[in-house]
Amino acid sequence: MLNRRTIIQILGVILITEGFFMWLAVPVALIFGESDYLNFLLAGAITISAGLGAYLPLRKSALKLNRRDGYVIVTGAWVLFSLFGTLPFLITRSIPNFTDAFFETISGFTTTGASILNNIEDLSHGVLFWRSLIQWLGGMGIILLTLLLLPFLGIGGMQLFSAEVPSPTPDKLHPHIKDTAKRLWLIYLLFTLSETMLLWAGDMGLYDAICHSLTTMATGGYSTKQASIAHWNSPYIHYVITVFMFLAGTNFTLAYFGMHGQFRKIWNNEEFRWYIGFIGGFTLLVTIGLFFTGGGGLEPAFRNALFQVVSILTTTGYTTADYMLWAPWLMVLIFILMFFGGSSGSTGGGPKIMRIVVMLKNSTQELKRMIHPNALIPVRLNKMAVEESVVTSVLAFMAFYGLIAGISMAVMAALGNDLDTSIGAVAATLGNIGPGIGKVGPALNFSEIHMAGKWFLSFLMLVGRLELFTVLVLLSPTFWRR
Amino acid sequence: MHIVIAGAGEVGSHLAKMLSNEEHDLVVIDNDGDRLKTIGSTLDVMTIEGNANSITQLKEAKISKADLLISVTSSEDVNVNSAILSKRLGAKKTIARIDNQEYLLPANKEIFENLGVDYMIYPEKIAAREIVGLLSETGSTEVVEFGGGKLHMYVIRLDQDAPIINKSLRELAPENNGLEYRAVAITRHAKTIVPTGDDRFQNGDLVYVISSKSGLKQLYKYSGKKQFEVRDIMILGGSRIGRKTADALGNQHYVKLIEKDRQHSYALSNMLSNTLVIHGDGTDMRLLREEGLEKMDAFIAVTGNAETNILSCLLAKHLGVKRTIAEVENMDYIPLAEHIGVDTIINKKLITASRIFRFTMAEEVTSIKCLTGTEAEVMEFIVKPGAPATSGTLAEIEFPREAIVGGVIRGKNAFIAHGETHIKPYDRVVVFALPGVIHTIGKFFN
Repeated sequence: MLNRRTIIQILGVILITEGFFMWLAVPVALIFGESDYLNFLLAGAITISAGLGAYLPLRKSALKLNRRDGYVIVTGAWVLFSLFGTLPFLITRSIPNFTDAFFETISGFTTTGASILNNIEDLSHGVLFWRSLIQWLGGMGIILLTLLLLPFLGIGGMQLFSAEVPSPTPDKLHPHIKDTAKRLWLIYLLFTLSETMLLWAGDMGLYDAICHSLTTMATGGYSTKQASIAHWNSPYIHYVITVFMFLAGTNFTLAYFGMHGQFRKIWNNEEFRWYIGFIGGFTLLVTIGLFFTGGGGLEPAFRNALFQVVSILTTTGYTTADYMLWAPWLMVLIFILMFFGGSSGSTGGGPKIMRIVVMLKNSTQELKRMIHPNALIPVRLNKMAVEESVVTSVLAFMAFYGLIAGISMAVMAALGNDLDTSIGAVAATLGNIGPGIGKVGPALNFSEIHMAGKWFLSFLMLVGRLELFTVLVLLSPTFWRR
Repeated sequence: MHIVIAGAGEVGSHLAKMLSNEEHDLVVIDNDGDRLKTIGSTLDVMTIEGNANSITQLKEAKISKADLLISVTSSEDVNVNSAILSKRLGAKKTIARIDNQEYLLPANKEIFENLGVDYMIYPEKIAAREIVGLLSETGSTEVVEFGGGKLHMYVIRLDQDAPIINKSLRELAPENNGLEYRAVAITRHAKTIVPTGDDRFQNGDLVYVISSKSGLKQLYKYSGKKQFEVRDIMILGGSRIGRKTADALGNQHYVKLIEKDRQHSYALSNMLSNTLVIHGDGTDMRLLREEGLEKMDAFIAVTGNAETNILSCLLAKHLGVKRTIAEVENMDYIPLAEHIGVDTIINKKLITASRIFRFTMAEEVTSIKCLTGTEAEVMEFIVKPGAPATSGTLAEIEFPREAIVGGVIRGKNAFIAHGETHIKPYDRVVVFALPGVIHTIGKFFN
C-alpha cells in the first residue's frame, strides 16, 4: 500500500537539499573569522551523505505516489529535517544536549520560535545564522522547496502541496505546481530582501538585518538577541518589522496579485479585510489600555500595542515589551490572539483567520436558523456560499484544535508545570507562536521545562505547523488498515 | 502551450490527462466542483469552477494568452459560444465539439470561420466512419492509415490457432526476412511493451503491426487470421453513431438496425431507406435470435449503455458472429471487454481526443492516433533536415526504448524500418510510443 521506495527516495532528496543549506553557514563563519566553519562543513557532509545513501540506490525506480504516501512524506520530511537540523548545534556544542537541540530545531522549522537558549548572544554567528535560516526554510515549507527542485514530482506534487500548505483550500497560481512553487518562493525571497535592506538602512547591522528578515518573513520569531527586538530602541526598526510581520501573515496569493497590479482582488478578499479588522480592533483596545495604565506617551503605547498584537496574531513571536507585566485584561487579550493565526496561504501558524471567520459566521447563522428552521442560510465568504463540506471540515479542525489544546494542557500540568505555564506553553507551541505566558512568557524561555515536556511540546509544534490532520491521520488506525 | 479546456466531462478529463505534462499549461473550466476536485488532485493542472460561457471566467483562465481553446462540454451551444468568445478574447485557435451534421457542411464552413470557431468535432460521425473502416478490414481489431495508405498499422489479437504463438521475435525473424511487416508493440494483461528479440508471443496478446498493403496477406497467414467478406450486419441502437453507420453501410450491405424507442424507430426508417429498422429491446436476447443474429457477419452494438453493448456482443460471439464491435464509453471496461472476447471497442472519447491531440503537437507531427487497448500512441512525423534521427542508422541514434520507428515513407515508396535503416530528411516516419516518451521523441525528427 505505501510506496516505500518513492517515500525513501524523496526523503533522500530533501536531506540532500538540507545539507547544502547547512553549507551556507560556512561563509558566514568564515566572514566573522570563526573556527566552527569546519563543523558546518561536517554537518552538511553527514546530511548530504545520508540523503545520497537513501536516494542513490533507488533513483532508477519509478516514482509512485498515492494519498497515503503524501502524508507520510510530508510528516517524515519535517521530522527528518529537524533531526538532521540538530547536527550544527550538536557538533559545534552550542547546544550539547540532544533533547534541547531537537526542541530548538523543530521550534525553528515549524516557525514557532520557542527557545531553550539562555545565552543567545554567546553563540557564534554561524550557529545563529543557521538558527534563523531553518525558520526561513520552514516558513514557506520544505516540501514546496522540494517541488521546485524535483521536476519529476509533477503529478503527485499537488497532494504533497495540499498536505503541507497551511490553508483550508490551497490556491494554485499557475497550472503547474512547480511554477506555483517558484512564484511563491520568489515573492518570499523578494520580501525578505526588501526587509533586509530597510532594516540595514536603520541602525541594525547587515548580519542582524539578514537574520531578522529570515525569521520575520517565516513568522518565526528567533532573534539574535536575548532581548528580542526590544534590544533595538528604535521606532523605525519596530515599525519596519511590524509591516513585514503583517505581510508574512497575509495570503501570498494576494501578494502575487498585488505585484500584478490587481489591487481590487486584494481588497475583495474577505479574509484579508477581517485580518486587518482584527489587528485594528485589538491594537485599539491594547493602545487604550497601555496609554492609561503604562504612563508613557501615546506613540509608544500605540507602537507597543501594534507590535505585540501583530507579532502574536501572525504567530511570529517577537516582543518589544513584556506583556506579562501588563494589566491582566490586556494579557487576556494577548492570550486570545494566540488562537487566531495568520491568513490562509501565509507563513503564519495557528488556526488561521479564515477558519475563525467561518466558525464565527456559522455560529451566528445558527441563531438565525433557530428562528427560521426551514430557511437555507449558508455561510458566505467572498460573497459566495461556502460549501457545507468545507464548513464541516473547518468545524472539525477547530474542535480538534480545542481538544488537543485541552488534553495537552492537562499533560503539561501533570508534568509538574503550574497552570499559567501549562496553558501558555501549549498555546504558544501548538499555534507556532513562541513566547507563551507564565514561566514561558516573553522575558523567560522553555529551558526550565522538563525533558518529557520538551518532547511533547516538539510534537505539538509539528502537529500545529502541519495543521493537525496531516500528522493526526498517521495516528489513526484507518490509515494503516488495508 | 497554454491550453484551456472547457468541460471536465469524459472527453475533457481524458484530454487533460493526456496533455498534462511539462510542456503544456492546462486550465480546466467546469461548473461541477467535484469533477474539478478529482482532476485537480490527480493532475498538475489549474482548475476554475464556473461557466465556460462567462467572459470573466475565461479571462481568469488567461484566455488571451491561450494557444488553444478546446470546448467539450456536453452542450453544443456552450461549446460554440465559448469558442466564439475565446477567439474574440485572444485565443489563437479554438475547437468546439458539436453534435450537428449541418455545421460541418463545406457550404457552412465560412460562417463558423468568420465567427471564430476554427475546428469542429463531431465524435459520432468520426466513430461511424471508423466502424465502416473496420468492417472492410476484418482480420484486425483496429487499423490506422499512414502516408495516404502506403503504410498501415493493424492491431491483431492472437488466439490459440495463431502459428506464431510461443515463438520469439528472433525465431521468427529469419522466416520473415524481407517481409513487409513488423510487430512494434504487444499489449498483454493491459500492459503495453515494445518487444525485444527475445519476447515471445502468447495467446491473447494484442499485437501492433506496421505493414505495407502487400504484407497484409502474409501477416494474416502468420497470425492465423482470415479476411472475410462482410454482407449481413446487425446494428443495435439507433443512436447517432448507429444511424450514421447504417447510412454509410446500407448501400453495399444488408443492414438491420434495432431501436428500442418506437417513435425514434419510425424516424429512423424514414431516414434510412436501405436499412431494415426493427423496433425492439436490445437486451431481449430472444428478439436478437429471432432476427437472425447467428447468421450475421458483423454485429455492432452502439446503444448508450456499455453493459448492454458488451453483453450483446458476447452473445453474438457465442452464436458464431465473426465480427463484433461494441461502443464502450466507460474507460475502465475497455481492457476487460477486449479480454472477454469483444473484437473491437469503439470509444467516442478516444476518437475525439485523437483528433484534438493533433492540434497540441508540434508541426512535424502530421497525424496521431490514440489506440483503444493501450495508453500508447502512434504518430506520423515529417523529418526535418539536420534532425538527430538523420545522423545514423536507427541502431546508432539512441532512440528511447519505450518507442520504436515502425516504418518509413520516402517519396512514393514505403518500407518497414529495422536497425540498419537510415532515416533521411523529408521522410515520413511512423512511430509507436508509450505514454512516457510521447512528448520527447519529437526532438529526434526536428
